[in-house]
Amino acid sequence: MSQPTRILVIDDEPQILRALKTILTERHFNVTTASRGEEGLTLAAANPPDVIILDLTLPDMDGFQVCARLREWTPVPIIVLSVRDHERDKVLALDKGADDYLTKPFGIEELLARIRVALRHAAQMQAQSKSTIIHAGPLEINLAEHMVKRQGEEIKLTATEFKLLAYLAAQANRVLTHQAILSHVWGPADADHVEYLRVYMRQLRKKLEADPDQPQFLVTEPGVGYRFLADE
Amino acid sequence: MWRLPRSPLFIFAEYLLASLVIGLTTGALYVLGNWLDVQIVTVVYLLPVMIGTLLWGLGPGIFTAILAFLAFNYFFIPPQGTLLVYRPQDLLVLLIFLFVAVVLSQLLARTRTALAAAQAREHEAIHLYELSAALAGQADDRSIARTLAQYTLDAFQADRVEVTIEAYADHDAAGVVLPPDQAPASARSPLAIVPLLTARGLLGEIHLWADRAGLAPAEDRQLKIIANQGALALERSHLARSENRAKVAEESDRMKTVLLSSVSHELRTPLAAIKAAVTGLRGGTVDRNSAARDELLATIDEETDQLNTLVGNLLDMSRIEAGALKPERRWNDVEEIIGAALARLKQAVGTHRVQVIAPDDLPLAPVDFVQLQQVFTNLISNSLKYSPPGTTIRIEARPRDRNTLLVRVINQGPPVPEEHLERIFDKFYRVTASDRITGAGLGLSICKGIVEAHGGRIWAENLPDGLAFNFTLPLQSKDLPPLKAIEQE
Repeated sequence: MSQPTRILVIDDEPQILRALKTILTERHFNVTTASRGEEGLTLAAANPPDVIILDLTLPDMDGFQVCARLREWTPVPIIVLSVRDHERDKVLALDKGADDYLTKPFGIEELLARIRVALRHAAQMQAQSKSTIIHAGPLEINLAEHMVKRQGEEIKLTATEFKLLAYLAAQANRVLTHQAILSHVWGPADADHVEYLRVYMRQLRKKLEADPDQPQFLVTEPGVGYRFLADE
Repeated sequence: MWRLPRSPLFIFAEYLLASLVIGLTTGALYVLGNWLDVQIVTVVYLLPVMIGTLLWGLGPGIFTAILAFLAFNYFFIPPQGTLLVYRPQDLLVLLIFLFVAVVLSQLLARTRTALAAAQAREHEAIHLYELSAALAGQADDRSIARTLAQYTLDAFQADRVEVTIEAYADHDAAGVVLPPDQAPASARSPLAIVPLLTARGLLGEIHLWADRAGLAPAEDRQLKIIANQGALALERSHLARSENRAKVAEESDRMKTVLLSSVSHELRTPLAAIKAAVTGLRGGTVDRNSAARDELLATIDEETDQLNTLVGNLLDMSRIEAGALKPERRWNDVEEIIGAALARLKQAVGTHRVQVIAPDDLPLAPVDFVQLQQVFTNLISNSLKYSPPGTTIRIEARPRDRNTLLVRVINQGPPVPEEHLERIFDKFYRVTASDRITGAGLGLSICKGIVEAHGGRIWAENLPDGLAFNFTLPLQSKDLPPLKAIEQE
C-alpha cells in the first residue's frame, strides 16, 4: 500500500478548512491545513506535500505571492481555490505558476478531478514519460505519428491545427492560457493575437466535435484559455 | 376710422371731394331755396363742413368751411350772385364754420391719439402674453435667456441685446447675445440695463443697445415687465429642477427598499430549501438509501447554485450601476461564447431544444467574452423559464451590416404585452406574479447594462409564435488593433 497522498490546504476561512479536511480525509488523503501564507510556506518546506490547494485572499500575503515563492523551489501542483472569479485573477495565478483554478463555491467532485489531473501531470513530468497516444471519447490523438483518428477514421488536419491540438492534448485536462497556447503554437511575437486562436479553434472543433457549438473535448475556459478534456 | 393714404394725389382728391360735397349741398339748397329760411341754409351748410373735417381732417375741413361760406354768400345772402357782404353778422357765419372745422378736427386728433395709445397698449399686452407663453415651456436657463433676448430685440427694434444669467446650484452661468453674429460688447454703453430680480436676489441682467437717446416711460415699463417675466421663468425652472432632484432621491430610496425586500426574499427562498433538506437528512427522518435522500441532496445542490447566481447578479448589477463595468474587449467568436453559455446551462436546458444558427463566416467581434457569456446565459435562462418545456430556443447571430452584428435569442413562450416590452429590461421588473418564477428580476437589466457598455442596443420583440430578445454589437473597435488577416493553410 502506497503512502497516502499529502494535501496542504492554505485558506483563511475556517469553514472551508473544516469542510475540505473532513471530505478529503474521508477520501483517504492526508490533509494538513494552514490559515496564513507564511505558515503555509513553512509547512510546505518542512513536509513537502503532493498537492497544494491555495486561497488567493490570505491575511498576511496574497495567494499570487505564495504561488511565486513556492515556484522558486518546488514544482508541486498548486490548485487555486478562490471566490475571486475575475478572469484577470485566474490568468495571473496561472502565470505565477498555479496549475489550475477553481472558483468558490465549487463541487467537491470537480475539485477531486482537478487534483487527479494535477497529480498525473506531476507524475508524468517526473518520469519524463509522456504517453504519446491520447484518447478522448471517439478521438485518438497520436502525438508521435502526427495522426488524429475519429472512430478509427483518420482526420486530415493542417500543420498549425495539429500543432495546436497536440499542445492541448499533451497537457490533457489542464487549463492552458491564451498566451501560453499562442506563444507555443505561433511564437512569442504573436502571443496577443487571440483572434488566431479563435479562428483555428473554430476550425478544429468543426473537424473533431460532433456539435461544434457545444464542444465536448475542446473546451473554452471563459476569459482564460482552453482545456482539452481527455479520458482519464 | 378711414383715411386716405397721404400721397399728394390723394390730398388733391380729398380737396376735390370736399368741393364736390359743397357743390352738391349748394345744388340741393338752391333747388329748395324758395322754401327754406336763410337760417336753415346756414345750419345745413354745417353738414358738409363737418363731413369734410371728419373724413379728411383739418386742411380739407377749413377748405370746406371757406368754400361753404363762399357758396352761402354767393347764392343765398343778398345781394345774391355776388360775394359782397353787407351785414357783418354774415361774416359771423364764416367764423362759425371755421370754428366748427377746427374744433372738430381737434377732437378727432385727440380721439386718434387715444386710439393709437390703446392700440399700442394692446400690442404690448399681446407681446407680453406671447413672451410669457413662450417662457412657460422653457426649462433651462439658456433657452429662457434666448427667448428673453429675442423678445427684447423684437419689442425695441434694438441693435443688440445681451441676456446674462448667473450660475445657480448645479447650473453654470449662461449668456445669450442677439443678433449672434454681432461683435461682442460693442464700445457703446448699453441704452438700458435691467436686472432679473426675484426674492432670492439677482438672477441675471438684460442689456439693451439701440440707436436712440433714451427709452420712453412706456418702453421703460415694458422692459421692466419683460425682465420680470424672465425672472419668474428662471425661478420656476430652478424650482422645477430642485423638485426633480428631490424626486430622484425619493425614487432611489424607493428602489433601495424594493431591492432589500426583493433580495432578502430571493436569498431566503434557497436558504429555506437548503435548511429544510439538511435538517431532514440530519434528523434521520429520511432513510439513508431512499430516493427522497437523493431528491433532498439535489435540492441542496441546485439551491446553492441559485444563491451563487443571485450573488453574482447583484455584484454585476452594482458594477453596472457604479459604471465599473468596462468590457475587456478581445476579438472573440460569438458562436463560441454561445457554446460556453450553453455549457454552463446544460442542466437547466432540460427538455428544451436549443438551436444555434450562424453563418460559417461569422466575423469575430471585439467583445468581452465573460460579459457576453453572461448576456447569453441570462437571455437563454430567461427563455427557459418562460417558455414551455419541449419547445425550441433558437439563437441566431449574423452581421447586419459591415459594422454591426445582430444577435437574436428566440423562444416559443407567451408574448409579452406591448406596454411591458420596453420595461422588462428595468431592474426588478417582472411581467408575471413574482411567486411563480424565481429570480430577482436582475438578469435582463444586466444584459442591457453589458450590451450598452459594449456600444450595442437591446430590445424585445413579440413574434407570431414567441418572443425574441434582440441585441446588436459593434464589429469594429477603437480599442483593439484591426483584425489581422489570418493566412489559411
